[in-house]
Amino acid sequence: MKIINTISKSLALLAIVGTLGIAPMAMAHETPCPYCKMKVVQNTKEMDNEVVLKVGNKRIEYRCVYCIIKDQKKYSGDLIVYAPSEKIGEPIILKRTGGKWTAPEGTVFLNVFTKHADCAALSRAFTSKTALDKYVAAHKVADAKALTLEKFIEAVNKPAK
Amino acid sequence: MKSTFLLVLASLLATFAISQDMPEMEMPNLKKQAELPTMPRDMPGWIDSPGLDHLFYKAAPYNWAINRIPFFAKDMFATGVGHAMAYEALVRGEAPTLETKTFDTINWVLKHQPSLPVDEGAISPTFMRKYGYLEKVFDWAHLLHFQTIDVFMHQGWTDAQKEAEIERLWALYQAEPYAITGLPMNMEYLDSFPYSMKFRTDYPKVNGLFWGYHWLQTVNYDMLYRVPVQDQAAQYELIGKRYHDVELYKTDRDFMPMTAEMSPRFAKRFPFIANAFDNLHMLHDNVNDIFSQTNLNEAQKQEQTKIAIYRVLASTHSKEKAGDGEALTMHDHRFPPSQPGMGMMKGSEGDEMWMSGMGWMNMGECAHCSIALPEGQPWGATVFADGWTMTVRCLMCARDMSSETPGRAIIRAATEDPNRLLVLISDEEGNWTTNIKDVVFLEKFAEHPECSAWSRAFTSRAAFDTYVAANPEYKDDKPMTLVEWAAINHGTPDTFSRPDKPNPYKGGGGTPPVTKSGGKP
Repeated sequence: MKIINTISKSLALLAIVGTLGIAPMAMAHETPCPYCKMKVVQNTKEMDNEVVLKVGNKRIEYRCVYCIIKDQKKYSGDLIVYAPSEKIGEPIILKRTGGKWTAPEGTVFLNVFTKHADCAALSRAFTSKTALDKYVAAHKVADAKALTLEKFIEAVNKPAK
Repeated sequence: MKSTFLLVLASLLATFAISQDMPEMEMPNLKKQAELPTMPRDMPGWIDSPGLDHLFYKAAPYNWAINRIPFFAKDMFATGVGHAMAYEALVRGEAPTLETKTFDTINWVLKHQPSLPVDEGAISPTFMRKYGYLEKVFDWAHLLHFQTIDVFMHQGWTDAQKEAEIERLWALYQAEPYAITGLPMNMEYLDSFPYSMKFRTDYPKVNGLFWGYHWLQTVNYDMLYRVPVQDQAAQYELIGKRYHDVELYKTDRDFMPMTAEMSPRFAKRFPFIANAFDNLHMLHDNVNDIFSQTNLNEAQKQEQTKIAIYRVLASTHSKEKAGDGEALTMHDHRFPPSQPGMGMMKGSEGDEMWMSGMGWMNMGECAHCSIALPEGQPWGATVFADGWTMTVRCLMCARDMSSETPGRAIIRAATEDPNRLLVLISDEEGNWTTNIKDVVFLEKFAEHPECSAWSRAFTSRAAFDTYVAANPEYKDDKPMTLVEWAAINHGTPDTFSRPDKPNPYKGGGGTPPVTKSGGKP
């Protein structure tokens, strides 16, 4: 859970920064995630976090892939998602073409967050199950399962209990 | 002698009690004056006159042109109902149910708007009986709101004719004793009294409605100003939805919406009107705060209301001029160098101000690339998205700023013809529609400090060719269609920066101390 702690610390810092009303320098026109309304987590030296949705002529940042899947109904056109992977600077490209989602072969998803405060850390894409397992082990993520794209979307769309 | 002593003692105790019983006074960085303001010696006589002195519209061919956009007209009519219902509840001692019963009633009206303006006296008889003098000030300013809107929505006049009529309306407005000053006033000062901020703290939902009305009443001016009448309604489809879905129910604004924030172009062209509207809206805030005090008796509320009116009346400032005055006083009429249509705000320095929802922005710079805004033609563009309106240097900045902002957007941009404004409206996916069917674009990407030269819109291919002929460095560039231009995205410029300072409304970052000369150290 080290990474979660790191992200939690980052979030705590963001929360403090937010409370103080400090606008960080590098973030342009910072807006909250269009779905969960929490601050979009920026990339760090250790890990990419920014999830970008390209739709029509827009490029919009979301907090995690879960948030994009949840918010997708508002867009009628084709979608391209640049989802941060375990490799810095190498996002996984997900596509919704004609309503059907596709991902590169081998892509798996982690989706175990219970609060959106943790969604950026616990709703992520990986290039392989090995990479996901490594992430889960390194950060002691409980109850982790590697989901295919289909199962991930199904899990996201599952009605809340 | 004994009774005088008792009166003075009671007054002192009341003041003490007020300052003791205001939890917001303990909030960090929300500095307030310790004493209630006292009655000025030159309070105008009309304020104690019980007469109705009702003023009405100037007879003119443009009256009721607002009805050209029925939903906009109805939304505007409903704001008056909302104001009146809240005031009636407050003066009748119904504050305990303001956030529930009154809110629900107002909210119903906002969703079932009247088709005609409603006589506020019919809705708020108690308020009118007790505070008729205040209603005179509100009513006269609200008429200015409506008639200026009517002028901009009137078909058949040129922009020059409309602007001349707006000047005449302003002169007519100022000629009456109930007129509010068009000078910029310091908003931090106006929000610094012992009673200040009470309403937004105790009644956030109804305060949110008030600030939502003020958002609508100020955002509409750039929707209309120099925009052809036939291109106005399409913008309200987006703005009106935003108003109903979001702006009316926001309870997290740091401060009331300012005219220059919502309609920067209008505010720059008619700074006196923008200032008058802001001063009017601040008077609303002051009155809300006074009415919601539980430690003021009726006489004190009447007195403080009259003083609040006095502070913003044109007659009070007749010997003053914009740009002058001692900082953080009633006669602080300074303004940001790039925006004469706004008084100084809490924490403001020069052109920098805290914009709720956007953070620190510099009004003299492009909101996207942070390079100084061009002076003269072409003036650049504005972007309306996510509830804010920002000024940018060029079409590219406007497009790229819109592209990274969720939701629909409106770009209003200069073309080569100063009399033809380009209005682009996007859907959720950044697909644009235009009001100029033959519009073409030049975009030869280079460094941002020159972006207003190489990123431009033209009303026709012929206009593009004329520009290229005069600027041979673009001779190899082809005119782009709207679709081609819209598909480009250069992302956030390297030149973008924003002041790294805390939110002045939430702790730290207050206005620097004032020097003896009245300036900043």
